[in-house]
Amino acid sequence: MLSIQHISKEFGSVKALNDVSFDVPNGQIMGLIGQNGAGKSTTFHSILNFIDYGGSIQWQGHPLSATDFDHIGYLPEERSLMTKLTIEQQIVYLARLKGQSAKVIRPQIDDWLERFAVKGTRKSKINDLSKGNQQKVQLICTLIHQPDLLILDEPFSGLDPVNADLLKQAVLAAKDRGAAIIFSSHDMEHVTALCDQLVMLRKGDVVLHGNLDDVRDQFGKTELFVTTDWTAEHLQALAGVGSVTDRHNHRYVLHLTDASAGPAIFDALTQGHYIEEFSQQPPTLDEIFRLKVGEEHV
Amino acid sequence: MVLGPFLMIAVTVGISYVSANSSSSSHQVAVISDSAVLRKSYLQQHQSGINTKITTTAKAKKAVKANHLAGYLTLDASGTQLRGDYHGSTAMDSGLKAKVQNFLLQYQQLKNYQTAKLTPKQQQALAQTPVLKQHIAAKTGTSNLVKTLSFWVLITMIYIILITYSTIAAQEIASDKGTKIMEIIFSSTTATSYFIGKITGILLVIVTQIVIYICGGWLGYTIAMQNAGIKKLVLANQSLVKGIFHNLFNLNLLYVLLGVVIYTILAAYSGALVAKAEDASKAAQPVIMLSMAGFFIALPFQNNLDAVLVKILSYVPFFSSYFMPMRIINGTAGLGEQIGSLAILLVAIGLFALYIGRQYQRLMLQTDSKNIWQHLFHSRRRS
Repeated sequence: MLSIQHISKEFGSVKALNDVSFDVPNGQIMGLIGQNGAGKSTTFHSILNFIDYGGSIQWQGHPLSATDFDHIGYLPEERSLMTKLTIEQQIVYLARLKGQSAKVIRPQIDDWLERFAVKGTRKSKINDLSKGNQQKVQLICTLIHQPDLLILDEPFSGLDPVNADLLKQAVLAAKDRGAAIIFSSHDMEHVTALCDQLVMLRKGDVVLHGNLDDVRDQFGKTELFVTTDWTAEHLQALAGVGSVTDRHNHRYVLHLTDASAGPAIFDALTQGHYIEEFSQQPPTLDEIFRLKVGEEHV
Repeated sequence: MVLGPFLMIAVTVGISYVSANSSSSSHQVAVISDSAVLRKSYLQQHQSGINTKITTTAKAKKAVKANHLAGYLTLDASGTQLRGDYHGSTAMDSGLKAKVQNFLLQYQQLKNYQTAKLTPKQQQALAQTPVLKQHIAAKTGTSNLVKTLSFWVLITMIYIILITYSTIAAQEIASDKGTKIMEIIFSSTTATSYFIGKITGILLVIVTQIVIYICGGWLGYTIAMQNAGIKKLVLANQSLVKGIFHNLFNLNLLYVLLGVVIYTILAAYSGALVAKAEDASKAAQPVIMLSMAGFFIALPFQNNLDAVLVKILSYVPFFSSYFMPMRIINGTAGLGEQIGSLAILLVAIGLFALYIGRQYQRLMLQTDSKNIWQHLFHSRRRS
């Protein structure tokens, strides 16, 4: 388990991290979200010991040190490879730094290239690959040594939906192996699809932390998805409805001021008859994100 | 880069060969004489630089005019006095002049003896010449030359190696500066290990190139020794050559190597200190300056090795690579002093590498807001 306790970091007068604490148990995925400059990369750099920080970071019960490097897979925010090398040379070089033998790694390369649908052979020069394929090679370098701690800084950035799905599968496979995984993303859809837990940072402060469902439930089931012949104006007039979003074709989202207004709205809309859609849910992560970012500007 | 010196040598030798061949006929002279015996006698003694095909004055004049001949020598033995006349567009070179004079003198002497009808005993008495012999203390002359040449070869070698490879080392490190691949590497190994690995890699490149030059030099020497003139020259100066080799391939070579190591580490540090990779070319400047300082301070002291400054600098890392070899060559440093200086250099290299290795990660990742002076005075690391 990765345990981060009360870490703080300042760059001059700017507070990059302020008393941040969370745990990432083995076999779980932690999503780190926040606006640009919220402190996500600084958190990763602290974990990897790239910077000095206050507080404590422990991996499997001890401070993370050079002896743990072989068990870490790290993907930085900006991609960077040694462009003069071939795919095979690059993968073998980085795997050997992780204590893997070239004899063990080489036979696996073709499988990994196939799994990530990399357009190129093991002998292709990195320089000759497209940006997307270079990114996939970098992902392979991060994953091929089967790390126990996976740190991915914006892993989905620049990937198309098909390749994003390939990455999701690889991350879920690592989770099934028992790896502790922490990743940052601006795309709440990926966070929702993958994460067991999430932490939201805002200007270095933790503003949300917990299980994904629990976090959403904190905000109450205030989103009501309905399909009805009623007009938006009629729906807006119902008691407990704050606002209405028209989703077209008689489909609406009612944003409730009070989650307990749901049953009364159900009665009013159905009046004992069949209704095609009536679903009361907590706000989406995307909405929560906007809400939390919005609080800053209030 | 490795083949550069070989190409330069090949081009120079090639041009010299073509130049020598194309101009050889116009440097020759013809020897003409009414006396076939006299001409034959001259040609038997002096064959080089003579065009033997031209035997008449008319032909010789024509050849000189056409610039195929430097000139021609006419030898006349009709009277009691021998006479030689040289005709050419320029004066005889001193070598040819000496040969001709010597030949005429010998032949005239022979003719005089015949005219005077001297007995062999009288001829022998007249042939007596005075003796002048120099008595120089054994080996001193050669020994001083060996020292001087060894000094020049060694410090020039150190200087050129340092100037060349400091830039390469600094650029190699600076080009990694701020790249994300460094984050991946530092999440895989310690900065100290990576730094030492990088330095070792650069040193192996240097050693490989030096080995290539040594092999190339040996090959060139072997080829050159097939030339009779060069072989004669080398054999005549064998003690000099052996002396220089002895002074290079001993503890001094270790000083050269360790000098390269410590300067390479400094160059790497300079490379890591630049603000961005684009400044890599400027990174080596401080190292080159220091190396130049060592070189130029060493020059005036080559004949004054007992100076206190020389003794002090032969123990100071960065300078000891220049000054201790100087003292070793001239025999002014005892074994204890040599070992002491070497130990200081080795300890300095170890501490320096460790010190830089500890800062290396933060310098390369640019996660450090400290300036160079803060680094120098407040070196610390969170454990």
